[in-house]
Amino acid sequence: MDAFSEELMGFVQKDNQVEASKDPVPEIHLPWLSQHIQSTGSHGQKGTNFAQTTSICLNFIQEALLKHQWQRASEFLQCYLQTLEDINSQKRQMAPEIIWKLGSTILYNHPKSNVETFSAFADRMKNIGVQNYLKISLQHALYLLHNGMVEDAYRNLNQAESWRYGEMSASQEKLIKLIQAYRGLLDYYTWSKKRTEVSSFDMDGFATNAATQDMHSYFRQASVNLHEIIKIPGVWDTFVKSYVEMLEFYGDQDGARQVLTDYAYDNNFPSNPNAHIYLYKFLKKEKAPEDKLISVLKILHQIVPSHKIMLEFHMLLKKSNKEEHHKLGLEVLLAILDFSGCTENITAWSYLAKYLKQIIKGKHREWVQEGWSSRKDWWPTFHFSYYLAKKNWKENRILALKKAFTSGILLGKVKHQKIILSSGVGRPMFESSFCLLLAE
Amino acid sequence: ISNFYPWDPELMSQDLLFRGRVKQPARAKATIDVIEQLNHFLWDHGDIAFGPLGMLLQENFNLGEKKKSRKNKMVMNTEWLLRDLNGYQPKGCPWAHLSTRQRRFSLLGGTVLGEEVENLLGGLLHEELETRWKRLLLDEASTGGALGWVPGAKPHHGQLVYPTGRAHDQLNFQKVKLSPTNEPQALGDPSHILLRGPVRQVVTRTIQGEALVAVRSDHHCALWKLEHRGPPEPLQVLEMEKEATGISLSPHLPGELAVCTRSGAVCLWSPQHGLQQIHKDPETFVFKDPSSWRWADFTAHPRVLTVADRTGLRFADARAPSDCGELLFRVGAEASCQRGERVLLAQYLGTPDPLPLSPTLHLVCTQFSLYLLDERLPLVPLLKWNHGLLSPPLLAQLLPPPYPEAPLPLLLGGLGGHLRMLHLSGSGRTPQLAAPPQSLPSLIDSLPGFPVLEPHGQQLLQERLRAPLTGLAAVVPPGCPSPTMLLFQLSAAGDVFYQRLWLQPDTSSESAGSPSTDHPSAVSWKPRAVACCRRWLKTLLQVPPTLPSWTPPTFSQHHLRWLKEENKGKVQEGLRAAMAEGRLLLQGDLAPLPPSDPPPAHEPFGTEDKLSERLEASWERKGAIWWDGQRDGSRLPRKRQSREKRRTQLSSSFSSVRSTSDFSDVNSPLPHPPKTPSPLHRMSETSQSLELSQELWVKNIPRERRQTLRDYLAVLPSPDSGNCSIPQFQNPSSQSLSTSEPGKCSVPCSQNPRTQTLFSPLPESYSAFYSQNPNSQSLYSQNPNSQSLYSPEPAFNSVFHSQNSSIQKLPSRHTPSLAGSQPLRKKPRMGF
Repeated sequence: MDAFSEELMGFVQKDNQVEASKDPVPEIHLPWLSQHIQSTGSHGQKGTNFAQTTSICLNFIQEALLKHQWQRASEFLQCYLQTLEDINSQKRQMAPEIIWKLGSTILYNHPKSNVETFSAFADRMKNIGVQNYLKISLQHALYLLHNGMVEDAYRNLNQAESWRYGEMSASQEKLIKLIQAYRGLLDYYTWSKKRTEVSSFDMDGFATNAATQDMHSYFRQASVNLHEIIKIPGVWDTFVKSYVEMLEFYGDQDGARQVLTDYAYDNNFPSNPNAHIYLYKFLKKEKAPEDKLISVLKILHQIVPSHKIMLEFHMLLKKSNKEEHHKLGLEVLLAILDFSGCTENITAWSYLAKYLKQIIKGKHREWVQEGWSSRKDWWPTFHFSYYLAKKNWKENRILALKKAFTSGILLGKVKHQKIILSSGVGRPMFESSFCLLLAE
Repeated sequence: ISNFYPWDPELMSQDLLFRGRVKQPARAKATIDVIEQLNHFLWDHGDIAFGPLGMLLQENFNLGEKKKSRKNKMVMNTEWLLRDLNGYQPKGCPWAHLSTRQRRFSLLGGTVLGEEVENLLGGLLHEELETRWKRLLLDEASTGGALGWVPGAKPHHGQLVYPTGRAHDQLNFQKVKLSPTNEPQALGDPSHILLRGPVRQVVTRTIQGEALVAVRSDHHCALWKLEHRGPPEPLQVLEMEKEATGISLSPHLPGELAVCTRSGAVCLWSPQHGLQQIHKDPETFVFKDPSSWRWADFTAHPRVLTVADRTGLRFADARAPSDCGELLFRVGAEASCQRGERVLLAQYLGTPDPLPLSPTLHLVCTQFSLYLLDERLPLVPLLKWNHGLLSPPLLAQLLPPPYPEAPLPLLLGGLGGHLRMLHLSGSGRTPQLAAPPQSLPSLIDSLPGFPVLEPHGQQLLQERLRAPLTGLAAVVPPGCPSPTMLLFQLSAAGDVFYQRLWLQPDTSSESAGSPSTDHPSAVSWKPRAVACCRRWLKTLLQVPPTLPSWTPPTFSQHHLRWLKEENKGKVQEGLRAAMAEGRLLLQGDLAPLPPSDPPPAHEPFGTEDKLSERLEASWERKGAIWWDGQRDGSRLPRKRQSREKRRTQLSSSFSSVRSTSDFSDVNSPLPHPPKTPSPLHRMSETSQSLELSQELWVKNIPRERRQTLRDYLAVLPSPDSGNCSIPQFQNPSSQSLSTSEPGKCSVPCSQNPRTQTLFSPLPESYSAFYSQNPNSQSLYSQNPNSQSLYSPEPAFNSVFHSQNSSIQKLPSRHTPSLAGSQPLRKKPRMGF
């Protein structure tokens, strides 16, 4: 029977392999599949006893972690250390990383753990195998930073940076860059501390000079590392800000502008609204021409129309001389109010009410119609429903009034305004609700 | 009265997978055992597999009737062939002895019989098994969950909306009253609506004071509006050609929905404006994936939706529909995904309430991790956490903070019932984990809280508690003195459970606190909860056992030649009478039950082995009856008699072929039905199924063959009567009913289930809603009455209600006979 089923097995497996090779689509990987196989394989081997006990132990640890039973987890972890001697080389290589992850979580949360224990554990784990040295060093440094031990963290990062093992692999290179960047950030931190010290000094020439030189050396160290990291595509907000601040301090406005422009406009980088905001703020500080500011914010408007800086953008556009900017100004306001987080933004509503009035006086009703046409089927329910009118009136009368005014213009046919704009949709209920409220 | 549906987990991996030894355990992979299944099928349902071929060939074979004409040389006598086959079990044994006749027959007929069946059936079976196996691994139909909570007009009132019924086709609306300190209380019985399709997903939302419930079935979506008083008001129903895979209600505009189907289309749907297709792409976004699963949800902008498939998440703008919106999430390097990682669930986490979190957050769950994304910063997840769930995470819910400035609990539920809770704090508007994630007790963790049961009861309870988790709804009751959270869970068996979680001040860390529960190992039950659970359990144990999804074969030729004439005559009469009346053929019509050979029982230790008796009785669920009988002291003499008898039968049970002496027992009436369930009992059940299916054939069979067939049927191992094959139930009322009114018994099963229409809210449900357990779990269950489903005629209803206790068993016994050829389980095929 056994021989027979083995034969079958071979047959079926062969079939499967053929299928697999035909099909280039990568298959979905289901972690619970092995459970099903295990529960089925009554005759199948379940692996060695060693593998079984370690996997059970791992389950216990994970369960204890999820129940916040840190002591229990740490006890199981002591037993789990035996996986470091697993005969399966693949598992043996994986073991240090798993142990580090579990152990650091336990030590981070355990009520009796302290920085010394954590550091001792990290130092031991770093030197088991070579693969995890950099990763553990970085996480160790971050832990120290979290506990306010900046100098220890710095030392740690320094050590990790000078660590070398064989040829650098791609992943190692990335990690080294990251470690250097964090060291650069800490250099920046020291630099900015020194800066406040220098500024608080009395005008004692010698001391100031020495301190300034010291500061400058930190700047140089930091700038090298920060410059490196922000070349790699990614989100590096903190690093970019620190770097730009230092450049600005030393008067390198062009350099700072270049960094910010690259960070905002490089297509390899993921879309990041913060990059545009940094650039805008920098340019604004520099008193750049308004056209330039508008062009920066125009891009931000396309990415995140709901950003609160858009109100500022609206004011800029309003002040501008170009008519197309005036038209865009309306669109910007309407786009802000499209978003669910901004529906009760009273500034936006009052801007809109004012601006609508201005536009109509300026005889540009078609702008309003254009903006309104894509919104007429959902804004009435979204903003001007009876329920919302009542709610706003109860919570914030000014908001309710602004909204009522706007709805009057947009929906038309409101008596006290005498402005009838075509909206196509007669919604007497919404208007009347606001009118009623106004009449109160 | 039991309102429960029996529930069984149906298919398990053991049923599908190859079970042989794995040569390389390291590279072990699941192999669907098609050969084994085909093998089983041919053995178990040979009549279906070979029946048509047999019909074609029957002209040329003589099955053993007396030779009437010797002229026809085209007819082959199989008498000797059948005799050779007698007792021969060739399954899997290539070295079995073959007679020349068999050899010749298999050489000539083998190719036709074997290949045709294999070719025709093999492909279909393989396809079916593959779909079943995929569904077993990942049941994507239940993504999103089918349990919804609708807050009521008063702050502590609300409604739970969930499906029950075997086909999940009954939508229930149960009013619940929450209390800041006490247990939630069910107000009255749930009102319900019977749909014509299984409910896969229930979404609820209250926008601008309007409470809406959206329901997704396989090919229909429907929307109801809940009034504070009166029944739910149906708004609109949508029918889809392709299977719907996801539905979501807009958090911005009342009555607006996003619906997506397997065709790759995503539509915005509102009762006022109708349907608007905003995306259609049968291909997956990032790379090619065979799955046609799609999902849609809303974003912070009411006109922009997210569309998800297995490979990623992308925006779709309703104002300018196009197929190439910007990607929000991509399975790949940006999120450092693993190999084979796929999106299983995507959810928009923003709500109209001002939350401490930014309203631009989205949740994405894969089989390994949970990702939080901000739609303003696409592709780069803000947070990633390895959830470690060993079942697909298909349910998620973000809750409002239990008190102002507390972290927001985010619940994640796996189909296997495992729950995870994260605490998101929004300080600085970027989400952060305020405390390490937690696991919450799952339903099966409440098992120690139940009283110890008899083994079969324990198993039943375990299975029930292990039923997949198909719905999750959490409520933070407003205005509680101590912050608390109520967690409702719906299982696939139709039970709704709840647990209450209290916020515990977390002293160990500086974070504000984290809700936590009792340790599941120390389940403590308040007296009221215990009473409630006992009630639930009692009802559960009264539910008739689930029907076996298949029945083992009993068809064998052995008895053809050893037939007694007088017996034959009686059988024929019975069969004829049944056919003439056009009713079901019952055991009583054929012949008394042959004595079933019990398995060799061990010798009792003393003259009165009470322990074995009692054990025996309790295995048959007759513990209580045994005890009563013991007290009366009236049963003992009979019992002894039967044991004596069993001892004499012992020798015969070892021989595979029944000798004629066995049949002499048949004629002597049994004092009472044997109590021990034996394999033969089961066989006798299925013989019924064969009879029934063959009875239908009779009309198509040439007259001269009918006699043969009748002879053939007559000698099938014939059980005595219906209730004899139910060793578990020896209720006098069931006996009388099953024999005297056989026709009626079969009616509820054969009733057309389509008789009820959509939107026909039944006035009341018959079930009792009971609840209450404070500390850990308590359960209430609403399983509607099965009869209301199938028998709209009042006459039958009344029969069923008046004799409820006995009738429950009848369908359960008679259904397998119908199910043999026409399974009842295919109910999900019904329309909506």
